[in-house]
Amino acid sequence: MSNHAENAFNFSSNQLLETALDNDNVPIGYACNYVPRMLLNVEPLFPYRVNAIGLTGGTELADIYMSQVTCSFTRSILDMVMDDQLEFIQGWIFAAGCDHLRRLYDNLQYNLAPNFCHILDVPHKSGADAISWFSQEIKALSLLVSEHFQMDLSVVKINQAISEHNTLMQSLQRIANFRKKEFPPFSGTQFHRLMHAVWTLPNQSITPIVEKIEKQLTEAKNPVDYKARVLLVSSVIDQYEWIEAIENNGALVVADRFCTGAIPQLKTCVQTDDPFYDMAAHLLQTNACPRMMDTFNNRMELILNTIKDYRVDGVIIAPIKFCDIWGVETTQVASFLKEKKIPVLRLERDYCFSGEGQLSTRVQAFIEQILQ
Amino acid sequence: MGVISQIQDQIIYYQTWCKNYQNILKMPLRHGPYQTLQNLNNYPWLWNLAKVNRLLSMVTKGREGNYRKANAAVVGKIVPNLMNLLNNLVEDTDRLVLHEDMVPPEILFAMGLKTWMSELLGILMPIVDSHSVEKYIDIAENAGIPPDVCSLPKSTMGVILNKEVPPVKAIVTSNSPCDGGMASYQLIKNKLDIPIFQLDVPYNFYNERATDYFANELKRMVKWLEEYTPGKMDWDHLREICEERNKMAAHELELWEAIRQRPAPLAAEAIYLSHLWCFNITPGDPSGTELFKYLSDLANENIKNNISAVPNEKYRTVLWNPPLLHFIDLFSQAEKQYGLTLIIDSMSYNRQPFIDTSTKESILKGLAHIIMTGPMARHTRGPAQNYFDDMFYLYTYFDLDMIFVAGHIGCKNTAALNGILREKCRNKGIPLLIIDYDLSDPRVVSHDGIMQQLDRFMENIMNK
Repeated sequence: MSNHAENAFNFSSNQLLETALDNDNVPIGYACNYVPRMLLNVEPLFPYRVNAIGLTGGTELADIYMSQVTCSFTRSILDMVMDDQLEFIQGWIFAAGCDHLRRLYDNLQYNLAPNFCHILDVPHKSGADAISWFSQEIKALSLLVSEHFQMDLSVVKINQAISEHNTLMQSLQRIANFRKKEFPPFSGTQFHRLMHAVWTLPNQSITPIVEKIEKQLTEAKNPVDYKARVLLVSSVIDQYEWIEAIENNGALVVADRFCTGAIPQLKTCVQTDDPFYDMAAHLLQTNACPRMMDTFNNRMELILNTIKDYRVDGVIIAPIKFCDIWGVETTQVASFLKEKKIPVLRLERDYCFSGEGQLSTRVQAFIEQILQ
Repeated sequence: MGVISQIQDQIIYYQTWCKNYQNILKMPLRHGPYQTLQNLNNYPWLWNLAKVNRLLSMVTKGREGNYRKANAAVVGKIVPNLMNLLNNLVEDTDRLVLHEDMVPPEILFAMGLKTWMSELLGILMPIVDSHSVEKYIDIAENAGIPPDVCSLPKSTMGVILNKEVPPVKAIVTSNSPCDGGMASYQLIKNKLDIPIFQLDVPYNFYNERATDYFANELKRMVKWLEEYTPGKMDWDHLREICEERNKMAAHELELWEAIRQRPAPLAAEAIYLSHLWCFNITPGDPSGTELFKYLSDLANENIKNNISAVPNEKYRTVLWNPPLLHFIDLFSQAEKQYGLTLIIDSMSYNRQPFIDTSTKESILKGLAHIIMTGPMARHTRGPAQNYFDDMFYLYTYFDLDMIFVAGHIGCKNTAALNGILREKCRNKGIPLLIIDYDLSDPRVVSHDGIMQQLDRFMENIMNK
C-alpha cells in the first residue's frame, strides 16, 4: 500500500505528551466515552484516554484480582496501573459503562486508592429523564473536580472548552472526509495514530498537528492502494497494529465505528446555555455503544449510513473477548448485515495486539469473499 | 430415628408426590387432549417440567422430620403455581407479558396482566433435570452468542430462538442483573418483534434521587403497559398485593430469626427455594404467606424441641450468587458428609422487604426500592461495597463458619471481585470456597468436579 501523505502524520505522541506534562498540564485518566472529556479540557487539565500500549508480558497482576474471564482491556489497564506505568495520571474518572469498567474502578480503588477517583452513574437510556439525571451527575463531577484541583470550572470556561472541542472535531471530520474518496490519501493506520494522539493529548498540543495534516492533505495527490474498503466495528482499538495488520492484507480501513475511532465521536456537541445538559445529551444520544437499551435502531442506521458514505465493501466486527454487550450485539449486527447482503467478518480478539498470522488468514479469506 | 418417624417421613414424601401429579394432571383435564398434545408439541420443555417430582426427591432425600416437611411444602407450593402459569400458554394470551426475573410482577398482576418470566425455564429446568437446558444453550451459541456469556440468558435466548416461548404480547425488562442479561433482551425483542419497555436501574441507588428516578421509571412502565396491552392499573389491587407481600416478608423475617439459632432448625431449600419462587414469581399470593408461616412454625417447633435440621450440624455457610441450578442436591450431600448446613443464600437476602402501602407514591417507591436493591441488582450492578458489606454482614448475623461463592464462570461481575474477596476473607480469617462451575451447564464442570472442590476445601482448609 503506497502512501504519500506520510510526512503529515509523522509526529511523536509520546514527545508531545512529555512536553504537556513538563508544561504542568494535568492528565485526567478516563476509559470510556461516556466520560465528558470536554469538561476535562479546561486548563490545566486534559483528558487522557487510558491505554495499555506499553504493556508487555501479559496481565498476570490484574488477573489475580479480576480473573481471566473479564475484558482484557480493563485487565490491561489495571495491570499497567499496578505496575506503576500510568503513575503520571493525576486523577481518574470512570463511567459505570459496563460490568468490566465498574469492576476496574472497584479494583483500582481497592488496590491504589488514587487521590482523585470518581465514577459517573450513566443511564442506559437516552430520553429526557436520563439526560436530566446524567446532567446532574456531570454537574456534581464538575464541582468535585473544581474543588480537588483548586480550579475555576465556571459555566463560561466549560462552554469555551466545548467550543474548542467542537472546533477540533470539525477539523478532524474534514480529515476523515478524505476517506470517503475513491482513493483516500492516507491509510486507516495513519488516521488512527492521529486519533490516538487526539484522545491522549491536550487540545492545544494536537490542534497544530491536525491543522498541518489538513493543509497537506488538500495538496496530496497520490492515493493509497487497496483491494477492498472496510468498515471496522468494535469497542476499544487503540493499538494501531490491529488496523495495520488488516491493511497489510489489502483491506483499507476507510471507516471506524469504535470507541477510539472517528464514528460517531467526531460529531459536535450542540450548545445551549446549560453546558451540563449539552454534554449529557451529547454523550447519551451520540455514543453508539450497545450498552444503551434504547438506541439499537440508531446504531444499525449509523452502520448502514457509514457503509454508504464511505463506500464500504465489507464490514469487520471485532469485539473484545468476554465483553457481553458486544458479544450479543455482534450476533445481531452480523445477522442484520447478512440480511442486507453486506459481507461481514466477525473477529473475536484480545485487547492487546496478538495472533497476526491467524488474523491475516481470515482477512485474506474475507477479501476474497468480497471480491467474488 | 424411630420407625414411626421414618414412616411419617415417607408419608410426607408420598403425599406431596401424589398431590404434585394430581396438579400436573389438571392441565390435560382442563385443556383437553388435543390442546395438551399441541402444547407438548409447541413447548417440548413441558416434558421436563413434568419431572418435577425429581425435585421433590432431591430436596427430601436424607432430610427428616420438620426439615423434610418444609422442603416438601416448598415443592408442593411450586407445582400448583407452575400449573397456573402454564394455563397462560393458552388462556388470555392477549394479556400475556414477558418479564425479566429482576422485574417482579406485582405491577403486572395489579394491571390484570398474565405473566411469563423469561428466565423461568432457564432456572427451573436444570433444577429438575441437570442436562435439560444444554439444548437451548447450544442453540444460542450456534446462533452466534459467545460461549462465555452467562448460561442463564443463553438458555433464555435459546428458548426464544427455538420458538418455544409462550405467545407473549409485550416485554418488560431492565438493565439488571448484568450486561449479558441486559443485552439478551434486544435479541429477544428483535426475534419476537413485539414492544419492549426497559427499566433503568441507577448504579448508585441508596439515595432519594435514585429512588425518585426509578419510581418515575415504574410510572412510565405503567403508562406504557396501559398503551401497549389491555392492562389497566388497579391501585387498590396493587395495594392488596403489596400488603400480602409484606405479610409474607414478615413471616420470612421470623424464619430468618429462627435460623440464626445454632444448630439451625431449617436450612437450604426451605430457605432459598421458597424465597426464589414466592418473592420473584408469585408475590402477593396468599398461599406464599401461608407457606412462610408454615416454614416459620416448623422452624420454631424444631427450636422448641431442640431439633436441628441437619443432625450434628458442624459448619454453617452462606452461598453467594444464585444456587447451583443443575446441582441442587450439593448441599444435601454436604450435610450428610460434613455436617455442613447451608443457612441462606445471597439471592434470598433483601435488605428492604416492606412496602409502605399508604399512598400510590409510597407503593411505587417501595417497589422501586425493592427492585433496585434486589440481590443481583445490588451485588452485580452496584458498587463492590454492596457485595462485600452484605456478605460480611450475613456472616456475622447468621453466625457462619465459612463463605461459599458459587463462582459461575459466566458471571464476570463477581469473577472480577474474587481477588479482593480472597484478601478480605484472609484478613478476617474467614474460610472461603469459590466453586468453579457453570450455573446451568454441567458440561463445564461436572457434579463430580464440584464435589471434588468441596472435598478439597473441607480436607485442606477445614482439616476434615
